[in-house]
Amino acid sequence: MNREKVVFSFFMILALTLNYGFYTGEVDNPSHHNVYELFAVVVVNMIATVLKFGDRSQMGAMLLATSLVALVQLFSASLIWAYVVSIQGNPMTPETMSTIVSLSGGAMIANVISVILLIIETSMMRH
Amino acid sequence: MSLVTSLIMRQMRAPFIILILGYSISVLGMVLTPGVDDQGNVWHMSFFDAIYFVSFTATTIGFGEIPYALTNAQRTWALITIYLTVVAWFYSLGKIISLVQDPTFREALKKNHYQRQLERIPESFILICGFGETGHALAKALTERNIHTAVIESNSRLIETLPLEDFPLVIPGITGDARDPEQLILAGLQDRKCAAVIAVTASDEANLKIAVTSKLLHPEICVVCRSEIEEYESNMISFGTDFVVNPFDTFANIFAMAMHSPSLHLLYDWLTGVPNTDLSNPVYIKEGHWIICGYGRFGEGLYKQLLKTNIQVTIIDPSEEKREAFLNHPENKNNDFIIGTGFDAHTLTVAGVTRAVGLVSGTDNDSNNLSIIMTAREINPELFIIARHNKKSNEKLFEATHANIIMQPSEIIARKIRTLLVSPLMIAFLNKARNQDPTWANITISRIMGALGDSVPSIWTLHVNEKDARALCSVLRLGRVIRVGNLLQDAHQREQQVKAIPLMLKRNQKLLLMPTDDIAIKSGDQLLFCGTPSAHRSMKWCLNDLHRLNYIMTFEDTPDAYIWRKLHQYLKRNERRNRPRQKRHIMK
Repeated sequence: MNREKVVFSFFMILALTLNYGFYTGEVDNPSHHNVYELFAVVVVNMIATVLKFGDRSQMGAMLLATSLVALVQLFSASLIWAYVVSIQGNPMTPETMSTIVSLSGGAMIANVISVILLIIETSMMRH
Repeated sequence: MSLVTSLIMRQMRAPFIILILGYSISVLGMVLTPGVDDQGNVWHMSFFDAIYFVSFTATTIGFGEIPYALTNAQRTWALITIYLTVVAWFYSLGKIISLVQDPTFREALKKNHYQRQLERIPESFILICGFGETGHALAKALTERNIHTAVIESNSRLIETLPLEDFPLVIPGITGDARDPEQLILAGLQDRKCAAVIAVTASDEANLKIAVTSKLLHPEICVVCRSEIEEYESNMISFGTDFVVNPFDTFANIFAMAMHSPSLHLLYDWLTGVPNTDLSNPVYIKEGHWIICGYGRFGEGLYKQLLKTNIQVTIIDPSEEKREAFLNHPENKNNDFIIGTGFDAHTLTVAGVTRAVGLVSGTDNDSNNLSIIMTAREINPELFIIARHNKKSNEKLFEATHANIIMQPSEIIARKIRTLLVSPLMIAFLNKARNQDPTWANITISRIMGALGDSVPSIWTLHVNEKDARALCSVLRLGRVIRVGNLLQDAHQREQQVKAIPLMLKRNQKLLLMPTDDIAIKSGDQLLFCGTPSAHRSMKWCLNDLHRLNYIMTFEDTPDAYIWRKLHQYLKRNERRNRPRQKRHIMK
């Protein structure tokens, strides 16, 4: 058992599940999307990215790339949220909410790819 | 990703995660803890407010309790935030600093730096193994002639001083034992830009190992070795080392040249010296009684040269065995061998210093050599003195003795290797010049002096091929005749000559000394020139630029750009059209 891989898998899958949790629900309904969940996705995804720092294998580099993509998407979603609510001081509108949710949907695809890569790596280790 | 970056990133994982966790816990806590706004309503910080608050708290900037004064519950969490994040920062900074100071990391960084410097070298480079006095002199000489070098040396102190010195080109340096093949490869032995390896470490054994490694791992490159012991020398030659340089043999040869023909020696000195330094004066070695102090490799080499001219020699050396061997040899019967050191007046007087014309202080100890010179000069101020100078640090002392010839092994080797690498034709030229009579050397010297003034000229070789002389080759293919004299025309003013002298022409393995201006050049020729650097530039320009070459050959400065070319053709046509009309007019 490789502890490094287990820890990484834990954070990667947690990022995906949290991401899914934030993403589900009506796309433009603010009450279906929890800000704490978005915060958790960002934090867990950051940890998962940092865990792949300095990995010189091809698979490690791929995983770093996909989690960086997810991070870019999630950061843009959070920035939009902060811009509309905290900087402009407006209440959350359905349009803004749908933008944020669709960005997090993109991040989810990146996270799904990460998990698929993880599964491929694990199954290759079996052989 | 390079090794260094991946090393840093791997080490930075833990501090980054600690920071992320510290920040996120603090932010989450700040958001969850209830506060009160200015109207007394229950209020929660937004994520934006919390991130702002935690950021200025964690970096100990502390803007205060914004946007509203904190409640006690919030203050409690703020306390936790302060300790959590500040400790996380301390941990991370400590980790980064220890990483920077880590020896493996620093070594990786240095190797990385060296490799990047090597990559930046545009053409080829020469790898110098050993950066002692010889390596240093060589690196200086080669970079002065615009040749890139890289250095591997086991003493890290010498490598660290490299960037502080004022070389004309950047010299990448790496600390490592050149005897280790791994380290040699790391230093760039198998790099396709590596053109030559020079082994000039202090030990013959190490030089031998470097030569073997280089010949095995990169057989195409040129390998030059320093050697002082004969066994190693023959060993090096046995597996194809291109050049083995022995400082004592080299000096003995130069000495013989000076004895045989002072003007030839002067020519040698000028053509192999460092460009743009002052020209040296001729050295006249007197015939008569000579004294050699120290009968080692150096003394013996000089003695053999003196023996050839039947000069009477007295040798002073403390070794009994050497005396036995010396006296038993029949060819030494005319000469004397005195046991002693030579730095006391008594021994020198016994050896006949009062009537001697020359003295060689050739021991391997600089203090003894200096002492011998001082004592001998006191007894006989007219002596011609050859001093062996072993350690670079004593340079000022030897200069102060005003010895007629100072032999410094590292200088001798550096000069020889530089000539071998920079202008291989020069060696052939000097060998051929040796067989000429002394008046030939005198004429050549006065030609060089007359044309180039009183500083050491630059030496360059012109290969008549596509790479070095593109325009010249294409003109030759058209069947035009270009003579040696044409090459010497100034690119700016055709009537004037550049300050350069053709020294030798090599065609089909045949060598021609001092080719005259009327010799037609053929493709494949090699020409050796000496002259000023600006003459070299002008020549290079002419030979690679068709318009310049055309100008030199025809007086015409043809334009290059499309419109000007068309205009030029139009004007020419008009000129031609006008000309016959005038003729007709005259006929009428």
